[in-house]
Amino acid sequence: MEFPAALFPSFFGAGPPREEGGPSPVAGWGEHGQVLEGGPGRRQVQPAFVPRRGATGERWEAAEAAAVPVLLPSAGCWIPSPAPQDILYRSGQCRKLRTGKSGATLDFARQLGHFFVDHPEDAFGSLGRLLHKNFYLGNSKLKVTVSRNSTIRMTALVEDIDRLEARRGCPRQHLASRLRWFSHLCRDWLFEVPLGLLADCLHEELMLQWSSLLFDDSLTGGALAWLPPEDGGTPMGRLVHPGGQAMNHLYFQDVVLEELPRARGSPAQFELSGRVRQVAAARVDGQDFVGVRSDYHCGVWRVPGRTGAAPTPLQVIRTDMPASCLTVSPHLPGELSVCTQSGTVYLWSVETGLQQLRHDPQTMFFRDHSPWRWSDFTAHPRVLSCADRTGLQCLDARAPKRCHFDLFKVGEEAGCQQGERVVLPMYLGRAHPSQYLVTTQFSVYVLDERLPLVPILKWAHMMKAPPLFADLMPGNPGRSHKVLLGASRTQELLLLQYRDSFWGVSLGGSQSACQLAGTPQKLHSITGCLQHLPTQLPHRHHLLQQRLAAPAAGLAATLQEDGPHKSMLIFQLSEAGDVFCQRLTHKAAQPPAPPSRDEATTAPGSSPLFEAPANSPQGLGAAALRYRRWLRALSRACREPPQHTWPPSLSQRRLFTRRDLEGPAGPSSLQRQMRQRLRQTMQEGGCIQHWEPLVPQPPPLPQTLEPSGGPDPLSARLTAAWAGDWEQWWEERTSFSVAQRQRALRERRRRQKRAQGRRSLSASFTSSLTYQSELSELSDTGPPRLSPGRPPILSQEGSPPAASPPVRSPPTSPAPDEALLSSQSLRCRGIPKERRKTLRDYLSVWAEGPPEPPEPPGSQASQLCIPSSQSQ
Amino acid sequence: SSHEHKLNFKKSKEACLSYIQDALLQKQWKRAAEFLTCYVESLEKDYSREHIGPSEKIWRIGTEILWHHSQSSMKEFNCFMEQMKTLGVKRYLKVCLEHVFHLLCNGQIDEAYQNLSLAESWRFGEQTALQDKEMKLIQAYRGLLDYYSWSKQKNILLEHAEDGFSDLAVEQEMHGYFRKAAVNLKEIIKIPGIWDVFVKCYVDLLEFYGDHNEACQVLNEYAYNSKFPANPNAHVYLYQFLKRQGESKKSLVSALKILHDIVPSHELMIDFNTMLQKSKKRKKRRLGLEVIFAALDYAGWKENAKAWSCLARQVKQIVISEKHLDWIKQEWNSRKDWWPAFHFSRYLAKRNWQENKSLSYEKALVAGILLGKDCKYFKYVSHQGCKAQLKRFRMMKKFVNRHNPVYLRISG
Repeated sequence: MEFPAALFPSFFGAGPPREEGGPSPVAGWGEHGQVLEGGPGRRQVQPAFVPRRGATGERWEAAEAAAVPVLLPSAGCWIPSPAPQDILYRSGQCRKLRTGKSGATLDFARQLGHFFVDHPEDAFGSLGRLLHKNFYLGNSKLKVTVSRNSTIRMTALVEDIDRLEARRGCPRQHLASRLRWFSHLCRDWLFEVPLGLLADCLHEELMLQWSSLLFDDSLTGGALAWLPPEDGGTPMGRLVHPGGQAMNHLYFQDVVLEELPRARGSPAQFELSGRVRQVAAARVDGQDFVGVRSDYHCGVWRVPGRTGAAPTPLQVIRTDMPASCLTVSPHLPGELSVCTQSGTVYLWSVETGLQQLRHDPQTMFFRDHSPWRWSDFTAHPRVLSCADRTGLQCLDARAPKRCHFDLFKVGEEAGCQQGERVVLPMYLGRAHPSQYLVTTQFSVYVLDERLPLVPILKWAHMMKAPPLFADLMPGNPGRSHKVLLGASRTQELLLLQYRDSFWGVSLGGSQSACQLAGTPQKLHSITGCLQHLPTQLPHRHHLLQQRLAAPAAGLAATLQEDGPHKSMLIFQLSEAGDVFCQRLTHKAAQPPAPPSRDEATTAPGSSPLFEAPANSPQGLGAAALRYRRWLRALSRACREPPQHTWPPSLSQRRLFTRRDLEGPAGPSSLQRQMRQRLRQTMQEGGCIQHWEPLVPQPPPLPQTLEPSGGPDPLSARLTAAWAGDWEQWWEERTSFSVAQRQRALRERRRRQKRAQGRRSLSASFTSSLTYQSELSELSDTGPPRLSPGRPPILSQEGSPPAASPPVRSPPTSPAPDEALLSSQSLRCRGIPKERRKTLRDYLSVWAEGPPEPPEPPGSQASQLCIPSSQSQ
Repeated sequence: SSHEHKLNFKKSKEACLSYIQDALLQKQWKRAAEFLTCYVESLEKDYSREHIGPSEKIWRIGTEILWHHSQSSMKEFNCFMEQMKTLGVKRYLKVCLEHVFHLLCNGQIDEAYQNLSLAESWRFGEQTALQDKEMKLIQAYRGLLDYYSWSKQKNILLEHAEDGFSDLAVEQEMHGYFRKAAVNLKEIIKIPGIWDVFVKCYVDLLEFYGDHNEACQVLNEYAYNSKFPANPNAHVYLYQFLKRQGESKKSLVSALKILHDIVPSHELMIDFNTMLQKSKKRKKRRLGLEVIFAALDYAGWKENAKAWSCLARQVKQIVISEKHLDWIKQEWNSRKDWWPAFHFSRYLAKRNWQENKSLSYEKALVAGILLGKDCKYFKYVSHQGCKAQLKRFRMMKKFVNRHNPVYLRISG
């Protein structure tokens, strides 16, 4: 392959990167970079220039509105990997700490608590046996017996502990003195396992988990491979992907490339002894070699080229340190390169075994803490590249100590930014034997081995997460090569095109400097299909959302040429084991189509996927049918919904004094009526929408600001806005003078005070009905002020907005609701004993509302305050 | 409060930017343009301390949209660029340079030249290192355009000379362009970098005016200065220059030797090998064998029939003369464990035979000599060749069979 006759001009400097910066969302736009003279005619009248970036590329358009599942979900539900809220401290006090730039607070105590609960035998086994005679856990008082002196009653302590758990997140949380006393007394001797050691290990593990949540590099390279059909032949290839609940099964699945790729037959399946992290494949001499990496094992399979031939496992190696890379040689059959986190690089040949090329726990160019190492092949079958976060070096396997050169360095040589690190290197041998791709968290570089250190192409990719996966679709001579970049956590997919000959073979074209062609293109992510799916039940929707938003775990792409029709198939694997596919079709060169058309088809909100296409006889597209089948299989596979973690409920038992619990003498007529109505509705199996009392003489409603009977101001405003005369509504509203409103408020407060004595059921509900409207009014006038006399309300309508924490101000007098909740009143209302706790829990859950989920790392989850609707 | 206001403003700004980004990545230029008109507001209250400020963002996004938008015109683009230049003082030169690039790519050379001249005269406070670089580039590109004008005048003059009359005015103008171009080009190629285009033009100028010493010095500096990157083209230009000057074989060989050391897979290695094979000195012929073996190590050369024929010819020569078999042995030693699988597998024999008969002939000859007559590649190709009744394949088979003991000596 010829070296380009002239390269794009660039400055060259040595040393550490000088440019300050960080991720910028637009850094890759609007720049040609450099220009170079190059055109069909040499020295015509005028020189013709070509840009480094911004030349026209091929037009590829998505054939479907979303990615479509290729395989049915495997049986058995997927176990999601830990989320931030699983290991972060979630107490309100600690959130304040966290905002003080102290980084994440790991919930160390909870994890240790989990250990004690899950493995009590290991934690307290022998001491527990020794002490169990001395601990009494019964409810009754200790009898005065002989053992009196050596036995303590633990019930109160256990209750204290229970309450402590229930009060998690409570702002007025403080340790009970009894607990403090107990832990002080026995923390030195109670545990079987040395607590300091255990804590050290646990803390280390938590830090590891947290850092892998921030950036998980064990997935680098991706665990999906496509084995293309042999030239000519049937349009059938093979997908190699992991699956199963622990992702420890390896599947070789035949896939027929039709309009939508379709699995054919059952896959060849291998059970492995670890989670599959990476699947790499290369074709040598008509056979595919597939390398599979898990943490401590690497294996290699051979797949003969002819269709239907079974894959054969060839060899497995075990490593002491987790392996971080496995690549397959595209030059020699049965050769692979392996890196481990201890900084060792091996050349692994199935015939001759392992050859250690390098062992260096330090990074190459400057110090970086990451143990991640990578290695790949180069144009010379005996020369391997090896990489860490600081750059790439090439070494000759025949004399690895002596013969090596630097290929890429994070530094001024490549115009890097400060803090930039290598994320994924990849040999681009299928496009050009001496080209190399290096991605960092900010940019993507194309390098030529023959001109080391100076990238021949550089572009800021602007992806939100670092690209961990990449695949190449080489273009024929004169056409552009396509590179796909994929991120894990955000599921981003980006398609780039680059060219290394400007003017095509037909014009006697030769190698020329690399240029980026066309604009980068965002492809569908798996989670993007959610908006096109039919409406689901809320919990089902949540499950589906969780499943589809699982981080990506690999990608594979292939070009398919069917006569004049060229299309591109892109497979994406998620951590849940789902493989989704999308097809892009090539649009022949034409003047840019009216943008309105392609913008309409991809406009957000529209879902052409499930609309019946006019030309389809079945009424629904193939993609929709595919989805339907997939959804059905998914709901079958995950029949049992995972246990919901309910917000902790407050026990009411100790909150009330004995006097509080003494209910009214008997149920009032209104309560009777209510009960009757409740029973009747239950018998009918209907539901109660509004608790409008059907009594002929309702207790006087506290007067609201709006004319009674009218909608609350929010609804009114929305209605007005909807109708288009919002301005008029505003006019009317402002004319409603402030003084008048204040008077009305004062009036109302007085009435409320007077009405507090009434403990009627309806009062609690009516006041809760007015609650919303009152709040929105207050927010109109200024900062919300809480009326001191207003009793806290256990609202019937979801969580009350954060303005009034119901626990903060204890009621001055027994509130009507507490009367409702007290066990005596429940008893005297005829609610059986076993139901009472349920009802209390239910109501207390409503009162507290769901806990605020902690923020996921790196993203600003904006918390929208959605007003709860009044009716269910 | 003002803090809250700032926060909200920042939030909505970010949201707007992400919408724009989304539209750009989906090639929805019209939608992006609509969002951009809203985003322009962010200029008004710029609280950001990011290294890419809102003005640069607007420049980048706007440029990208105008490149692709179906209804944009060059006039609008120029207008937008002028506005952008005044918007951010720090990025003035960068924007100018990009504007010039766009004009050049659209064939508007004269406008580009005007813009370059204007940018060159721009001064604002103290220049940063980055601005310094940008200014150097602006001057260099102006030099390049001057060079093209010079070359145009030169062609006119040459045509006139053919017709037999001279034009003094054109000649004066040409010399003027030369001076302007030479000054700027000379400046940029002193700074470490990749300046293939500029060096080529500058050398062309110097050669035309007969300043060969200066040209030679420039090229030597470009190739051998250790502050410059190891650019293969620098050595290629030097080699081509020496060849044009009719320099001695020795200096050509030494130029190519260095290229061989840097890039053993360079396409000039075939020329190098032929040059060395012809040499009478043993040492050079030995080097020739090394060069061609090293080139064929690379995946890009796997199917290069010319290279294989070079190797076959030299190996055959050595075998016939039976002298220097140790050369082959030494080269083969470091390759015998992987060349058979890399070059001489049965699969490749089949494919090479189907695709390129003469390649398979050369390769089979080499395989026969290096691996003996039982080698899979040789057996398959010679068998197919004999079946197809091709004379040279039969000759090859005979040759290999006769010299089979050589194989034993090489591998032993």
